[in-house]
Amino acid sequence: MTGIRVEHLTKRFKEQVAVEDVSAEIRDGEFVVILGASGSGKTTILRMIAGLEVQTSGHVYIGDMLVDDYEPRDRNIAMVFQTYALYPHLSVRKNIGFGLKVRHVERAEIDRRVNAVAEQLGISETLDRRPAELSGGQRQRVALGRAIVRDPEAFLLDEPLSNLDAKIRSSARIELKRIHQQLGQTFVFVTHDQTEAMTLGDRLAVMNHGRLLQYDTPERILSHPLNRYVAAFVGSPEMVFLEGSVESTAGGGYSFLSGDVRIPVRGAGTAGPVTVGLRPWDIQVAKTAEPGSTPARVIGVERLGSSDQLFLETTPAAPGAGGLPPVPLSLRALVRSYDFEVGNSVFLGFDADRALFFASDGSRIESLSAPARLG
Amino acid sequence: MRQRRGVRAIRIAKRVATHAILILTCIFALFPIYFMVVASLSTLPVAAITAHILVPRPSSLTLSSYHSILLDQNPSFLAELTNSLIFACSAAAIGLALAAFTGFALSKFNFPGRRTFVYFILLISLFPSFVMILPFYLMFAKLGLIDTYIGLIIPYSAGAVVFSGILVKNFMDSIPDDIEEAALVDGMTRTQAFFSVLIPLCLPVLGLAAFLAFVGPYTDYAFAHVFIDSNNLFTLALGLYQINSANGAGAQDYGLVCAFALVMSLPIVAFYMLFQRYIIGGLTLGAVRG
Repeated sequence: MTGIRVEHLTKRFKEQVAVEDVSAEIRDGEFVVILGASGSGKTTILRMIAGLEVQTSGHVYIGDMLVDDYEPRDRNIAMVFQTYALYPHLSVRKNIGFGLKVRHVERAEIDRRVNAVAEQLGISETLDRRPAELSGGQRQRVALGRAIVRDPEAFLLDEPLSNLDAKIRSSARIELKRIHQQLGQTFVFVTHDQTEAMTLGDRLAVMNHGRLLQYDTPERILSHPLNRYVAAFVGSPEMVFLEGSVESTAGGGYSFLSGDVRIPVRGAGTAGPVTVGLRPWDIQVAKTAEPGSTPARVIGVERLGSSDQLFLETTPAAPGAGGLPPVPLSLRALVRSYDFEVGNSVFLGFDADRALFFASDGSRIESLSAPARLG
Repeated sequence: MRQRRGVRAIRIAKRVATHAILILTCIFALFPIYFMVVASLSTLPVAAITAHILVPRPSSLTLSSYHSILLDQNPSFLAELTNSLIFACSAAAIGLALAAFTGFALSKFNFPGRRTFVYFILLISLFPSFVMILPFYLMFAKLGLIDTYIGLIIPYSAGAVVFSGILVKNFMDSIPDDIEEAALVDGMTRTQAFFSVLIPLCLPVLGLAAFLAFVGPYTDYAFAHVFIDSNNLFTLALGLYQINSANGAGAQDYGLVCAFALVMSLPIVAFYMLFQRYIIGGLTLGAVRG
């Protein structure tokens, strides 16, 4: 049981930068998810921790040990590969016991531990089969068993659920979380699936283009994204962004304006172009007008099961500035009722407390947000 | 209903045509062997054998040719067989071992000039092996390796490394790196992972390579003819030529030649049957991966 620390980790493949100056600490027993789109460098980080890839610069510590010069076999970590990478020519029993055999553990002890792990994962009856005869879910368990049986310092998991059917994926997720709680060991889990990330991770590391953008709890990342990329990447359905500007109002305060959407700004304002980000579930949809609400039309309804996602287009009453024709804005809202149909006229309300403001470079403008927020 | 009957007729016609073609191909492939068997059991001149090839007269069949090749030859058939097996098995073993390492290096290691090296090997394999005879002869003459076992085993093994190395490389390319990496994380060195994970997975292609590396030297005439003088190093291919030419032009004893060739081919058949599982796997390489 050990934590992992990376310092200024950088990896270049020829001219291509895969990972750029990433520093982070994973605490002992923590379940950390590295989340990012493909090509974000998340798998490369995992491989550098495992020792399968040598970093261009920077350091990797496992526990208190600097392991930069250690071969993978000397790092005492276990890895679960996306493809599972089971040994096709060996039975499940031998696949799981492989690492123990290499380490010259006694036969009886190997048998005992393999049986115990197989029992724990519910694959006892498959022990004498070959990997080719197993279902995807069983193979994934064997891969996990191969890791668990060695009792390693830490577990590295590279998208281990992505090859599973959607149906068993969610149960595999719960199973994995349960195993983590049972073992109490350090898990580093790489995925591009934000649902997996949110449900599994004690902390998430969001990556893009080789950079670590934010490293925090799922709740904080959802409520306090550091920049527009993180805000857009995390949260489902995706955040709605409106381009506009902050302008001073007659009352002496400031408001965000985009078309005929007006959101009062609570914080200390400065005039200038900004982007506002709203979670679809923070946009209120009503059938009757209220003060300050924006008229819109429903142009599409997506039934998600527990709620409906409405695709909306504002219907500006007044012409645009300078006599230009009014520009309708497209946005989405999540509603719990099933009251809305395509073509309905509705009125939108925006919760200023929950709006996030981003500068043109994507960074979040904290000063514009209302101070009292969740988390 | 009628239409369905039509479809059925077409399907039957297709089957008949397919089988006809296959049977015809089989006849083409098997007839020479049949001819050899009949000829080897006969002592008649070749014209007489040909005239009665389809219905050989039982009274003319005899095992005397077999008797003759197995007992009356000098150097003896057994001695030649032993030599051929020594050459072919050594070449297969050495060539295969080197080819496995070559394939591993070319497939799983990154080093400067790797691609160039692969193309270089491919280029070499385009030349027929007998263009190497003269350079090999000149080198080995200086080294005193002419007319020795080693002198022939080296070029045979080298030939095996060239084509098998590429064969093994291509096969290893199809094995995901993940599997080797899993072994490294599980606690192995790369060499250990090579022997306990990659080699077992490469058995199909190694079987095919072993077979080819065996058959080449076993049936080689050109190299053996140039490199070997002593009777005690004679191989079967040289023995066969000797029998064929010993009888003088025009009067060849086809019975003897065919009997010799048939017995000579038995080890190849045996080798093939031994490795059949792997060889067929190697031939369908890449088609289906379990």
